[in-house]
Amino acid sequence: MNRLPRGCINVGGGLASAMEDCRRIFLSLFEAWGYRPFLPSALQLLESSWERLPPSFRSRLVAVNTPYGEPCCLRGDITLAAVAYLASHYSPEERPLRICYCDRIYMKPRPPKTSIESFQIGAEFLGWEETGGEAEILALLLSVLDSLGLGRTTIVLGDSTFLQRAVASVDTSTAENLAEALRKGALPEYYSLLEDGDIPDFYRRILEEIPRLRGGLSVLGEAEKLWGKGAPLSPLKSMVSTLRGLGYESRVSIDLSLVRDLGYYSGPVFDIYSGESGRSLGGGGRYDRLLSTCGLGGRAVGFALDLEHTASLSRFHATGAPVMAWAGGLETEEALIRAKKITSEGTKIEMSWTVNKAASLDAAEKRGCRAWVDLASGSSHTLSPGKGDRSC
Amino acid sequence: MLTIALPTGRVFADAAGIIEAAGLPCRGLSSPGRKLVIEDGDFRYILAKPSDVPLYVSYGTADLAFAGGDVLLESAMPLVELFDTGKGRCRVVVAGPRSLAPRFLGHASELMWLKVATKYPRIADGHFSARGAQVDIIHLHGSIELAPKLGLSDCILDIVQTGGTLKANSLEVLEHVCDISLRLVASRKSTALRWDEVQSVAKKIEVAAEETRT
Repeated sequence: MNRLPRGCINVGGGLASAMEDCRRIFLSLFEAWGYRPFLPSALQLLESSWERLPPSFRSRLVAVNTPYGEPCCLRGDITLAAVAYLASHYSPEERPLRICYCDRIYMKPRPPKTSIESFQIGAEFLGWEETGGEAEILALLLSVLDSLGLGRTTIVLGDSTFLQRAVASVDTSTAENLAEALRKGALPEYYSLLEDGDIPDFYRRILEEIPRLRGGLSVLGEAEKLWGKGAPLSPLKSMVSTLRGLGYESRVSIDLSLVRDLGYYSGPVFDIYSGESGRSLGGGGRYDRLLSTCGLGGRAVGFALDLEHTASLSRFHATGAPVMAWAGGLETEEALIRAKKITSEGTKIEMSWTVNKAASLDAAEKRGCRAWVDLASGSSHTLSPGKGDRSC
Repeated sequence: MLTIALPTGRVFADAAGIIEAAGLPCRGLSSPGRKLVIEDGDFRYILAKPSDVPLYVSYGTADLAFAGGDVLLESAMPLVELFDTGKGRCRVVVAGPRSLAPRFLGHASELMWLKVATKYPRIADGHFSARGAQVDIIHLHGSIELAPKLGLSDCILDIVQTGGTLKANSLEVLEHVCDISLRLVASRKSTALRWDEVQSVAKKIEVAAEETRT
């Protein structure tokens, strides 16, 4: 048996087909809105990634050396590559830059995942000014999820500024530990840190409430009441208001304790959940500070989805299998003309040139086709399509 | 419907007792027989092997679960730990023959390439790495105390409640790793999207756990 290296994956069959359908729809929608496809190098210099990633993320990078002896890592995050690309290829007058991508990323897996490879689709809007950027990208994201048949997805919105402002008067180490406890979801550890920390009463009260500030849009009102004047919630409120105006109110939820894995977020952040799965499809947020560490001005927002997970829940996973079109006794050109008519209606086909009808039907079943059609008579049979094929 | 996963085995009775004391509908939970899924009213209970519980929650199959601290540390699954019930308290320790004790009192280099048998390779790796010692971890699935006796390992890393089993196998506690107990955990998705329900049930469970503790 030809084994793959441990942690690596091949994806084929119906799942690969669904992933390709999702990728196409995703990229075409974002391209229509001015997002340019971006194909970053699989290798990134360690020196340019290291400082910009949190320790919990660094330890998961897959380090390699190039034949020229340059210490690198396999790309663990596409956002960093996008920011570097903006910094080195676009003058300030050419900004902002909108990019979209579909590529593999490589990281030491965290349970329950076991593979070092995963597929990401995402978009980044870099170097914009004023307002509207987050709302644009979220509205497009929801629109693309609808197109993929994922109309029951919910966006969980948070704002890293809320926590950052609440811990501004706390010593750096405690502040970092508090954020890390929230990221890990370790609430007893979080409350124990609060108990031990030297924190002004006003901020202590807010910090005590942060893990409970989750739920519907009314949470924003509760947070505002808790903080009083100057609550750092304006960007979040503005996003919610736009999404509400676009009719997405029922698909937005608030979680002010949301801390994402990547430490470079510096504003609104979000996670995306589908109705069908307990695992997040992906997420993103604002990362203006990352941009400024690269010497760039303006704002930045982006997100990434796990393509494999997204495709496995999409409408394409059930319908992605092709129909086997049996040429029967037809002349080759006539069979191709009739088959073309079927494909022009959006159906994927696989030609069967055998003259034996039973063998063709048998092959259709074995190959996981969802239906079999006789091009000569037009008769058809529905079959049970096989599932996706993923091997490690 | 809210789904709660409970670990079978040592701490099952504690978890079922807390649920009953919390006043949650739980007919049939105290004597489940061979049933692995029990439904009562708006609640569904999944009875799972302790080490599988974090997986059920991580994948969102269960909204809430009771899980031992050892299992949570070892699984390292992305979950939300809500609170410590205080039940099922025990310790994770490194234990071995008395003759090994001086090596644990000295410099970390004394521990290099020690053979450690354990059911918890991740906890063992984290513990000895933090001490700066590279050790040889032998992953066993049971009867850990046998390993030093039969020469398979130098010492073990395991949970200890009374210390009776260690004593019976001529082993002593050489080092304390961490305290563990039964925790209430929740799925990230449920805390994000069903917080009101999760919080309300968690609150009842917390109060019941507190009451049954005293």
